[in-house]
Amino acid sequence: MIQEENFEHILAKKYMRTELLPHAFCSGCGIGIIERMILMAFEELGEEEWKRTAFVSGIGCSGWTPLYFRSDVAHTLHGRALPFAIGLKLAKPELNVIVVMGDGDSMAIGGNHLIHAARRNIGLTAIIVTNMVYSLTGGQMAPTTPEGAITQTTPYGNIEPNFDLIELMKAAGATYLARWTTYHVIQAKNSIKKAVKHKGFSVVEIISQCPTFMGRYVLNKSDPRDIMQWFKENSIPVSVAATKSPEELKGKIIVGEFLHKPEVMEYTERLKLLKERVGRR
Amino acid sequence: MSAARVRQIAVSDKLCKACYLCIWACPWGVLEIKEERNWRGIKKPYAARIEQCRACKLCELYCPDFAIQVIVDEEEERKILEVEESYERKWFDRLKKRDEIISKGVWWL
Amino acid sequence: MPGELRLMTGYDALVEGAITAGCRFFAGYPITPSTEIAERMSNRLPKVGGIFIQMEDELASIIAIIGASWGGLKAMTATSGPGFSLMQEGLGFAVITETPIVLVDVMRGGPSTGLVTLPSQGDVMQARWGSHGDYAIIALAPWSSQEMFDLAIKAFNLAEIYRNPVIILSDEVVAHIREPIKIPPPGEIEIVERRKPSVPPTEFIPYLPEPGEWVSPMPAFGEGYNLLVESVMHDEFGHRIGMGQPIAERKIKRIYYKIEKNVEKIAMYEERGLEDADVAIVTYGSSARTSLKAMKDARNLGIKVGMLRLITLWPFYDKLIEELSSKVKSIVVPEMNMGKIVREVERASKGHCKVFSVPKVGGVLHNPDEILSAVKLAAR
Repeated sequence: MIQEENFEHILAKKYMRTELLPHAFCSGCGIGIIERMILMAFEELGEEEWKRTAFVSGIGCSGWTPLYFRSDVAHTLHGRALPFAIGLKLAKPELNVIVVMGDGDSMAIGGNHLIHAARRNIGLTAIIVTNMVYSLTGGQMAPTTPEGAITQTTPYGNIEPNFDLIELMKAAGATYLARWTTYHVIQAKNSIKKAVKHKGFSVVEIISQCPTFMGRYVLNKSDPRDIMQWFKENSIPVSVAATKSPEELKGKIIVGEFLHKPEVMEYTERLKLLKERVGRR
Repeated sequence: MSAARVRQIAVSDKLCKACYLCIWACPWGVLEIKEERNWRGIKKPYAARIEQCRACKLCELYCPDFAIQVIVDEEEERKILEVEESYERKWFDRLKKRDEIISKGVWWL
Repeated sequence: MPGELRLMTGYDALVEGAITAGCRFFAGYPITPSTEIAERMSNRLPKVGGIFIQMEDELASIIAIIGASWGGLKAMTATSGPGFSLMQEGLGFAVITETPIVLVDVMRGGPSTGLVTLPSQGDVMQARWGSHGDYAIIALAPWSSQEMFDLAIKAFNLAEIYRNPVIILSDEVVAHIREPIKIPPPGEIEIVERRKPSVPPTEFIPYLPEPGEWVSPMPAFGEGYNLLVESVMHDEFGHRIGMGQPIAERKIKRIYYKIEKNVEKIAMYEERGLEDADVAIVTYGSSARTSLKAMKDARNLGIKVGMLRLITLWPFYDKLIEELSSKVKSIVVPEMNMGKIVREVERASKGHCKVFSVPKVGGVLHNPDEILSAVKLAAR
């Protein structure tokens, strides 16, 4: 029988910095489940892939995600995770660079960098953790907050319309797009595996529960079990959503794989062709 | 699925934060909340009806803290101890080395 | 051909110096008057196996070169006043993570968009105090094309030795001037390479140097060292700390003192005619070129004038100015701004002599007569 006093799951012992556990996220936070999705994906991809992986993250609750992994990690400034990842990928094209960002980090202050990284189709995997508020600073409005929600900076209700990240990324030129919630653990793990193996710019958006702020302010539920039930009942797969009208889709989350274009050339390959054309001195 | 003979469902005292997502996830009603609080002040879940467990591992999937594992047989238990030895232990020496150097004082202060 | 004289503009010489020093990554954004540096880099870098990328703004440029530096390459960017204001965030990030990068600021008339194509020396204080928090920086001021070449190599060496960003404060005149430069043959140029760790990853502590050293060796990503590059205040491993004041104090004092207490080794300066001088002109950059003419005119009139040209502006060499102020009657500081380095000179001279400022704003160099009249006033 194993001792339960200081027990950790086998994935944690193998891939995480156990001297820093228990991690600093709230009880029932979805980010713990996202860490598990990433580790399960790498358990199936193999140890060789794990050894050539680097993680880059922004600032926010989601920015602390890769710090617990025993791998090369960079915790950069607010909104500037993607330029750091571009510089790193160009210097070492053989690395798998995974960028973990929050919704405010990637769509508000880092929106410009997101558009241009997608335009270049550079070989990064962006995992965007959407929890509909800015959670680390206490629950302020984000670009993904639903209309009418009451948050710390919208005490009279949110009057701003919100973003559809998938449409934006389609127009900017990303080549693998998927959206899941923390309820769909196995499907999201498969999407992350496919995104890491895909050569161009891939975006996996994961809607995650924040029982402390998003649950209490936006959904009026403070138990993570209730929020998971809400995710289960309100997500519609993309093939089913195509047959429904916009009124039926109001307030629902559309999940699934939206786009996969493996034939578009990736940026480091274009750079290699340029270097061969110009010739070394 | 009929019930399998599961050896142990280990729930960590160090890591569990009492969110009870594992109890919500279990389709067979195996887990229940304990009556007493442990040394961290939480009421851990435990396997009340372990003979009902089918080792589907949904409780493991939904735990955000890596605190629960379904250990089916001795093979799995052996693998856990092996991973602990070969992956985890060797990184703890440098923590002790740093504490020794700092306790003697750094040269630039 | 190395060893011969070549006619080059300042920015060409800077690019050649950077490539000789081993720079293989440039990320920039076009801004007058430093656009030619980006253009020439885009031409030269693919031919030597390097990487050039034009980013979407200056904020992305400086963060991209920090990422490339952690990928193992020597990296550089070039900008001017408005872009330099945007890069302050990234400069702070490079300081706390101890990343070696080189930033070239071709100063132009400010504030804001300002006098776009005209020179000034208005960013000298921003280079030192521009970002938030406590930190130290090295800033170099070239005055000729030859010095653009030499100081480019020196900047990369200093960045690798001290693991800190280094700023080259050129101005529009020095960047665009065309002068003959002499490139030494490859064996005679000193180039410092990055130090790599000698212990395996399970024994390596990233931010705790050996006794007597200021910085620890720097591995790159992808070499198995499980690095934690962290912008939050961290301890010796890169793990974040909650409220540990002793840990934060150790880190801040080390990254501050590693530059400020090594002034003797870092500082560079040039003295002319100070042996018997009554009046000293302390200057830097393009103002030094005009001051040379003023000094010669004054000597012809019989006033004993000497010149101290500062090549390293930061860290400021206090002891040098203090010794100078005990030997001369007064110091004249001509600058193309409203008087910035003159404040440091006044502070360092500790009242031993009089200090006169000769400011010049509006986007033109000084007229030598303006400096001459200040020298005459100082000699009385």
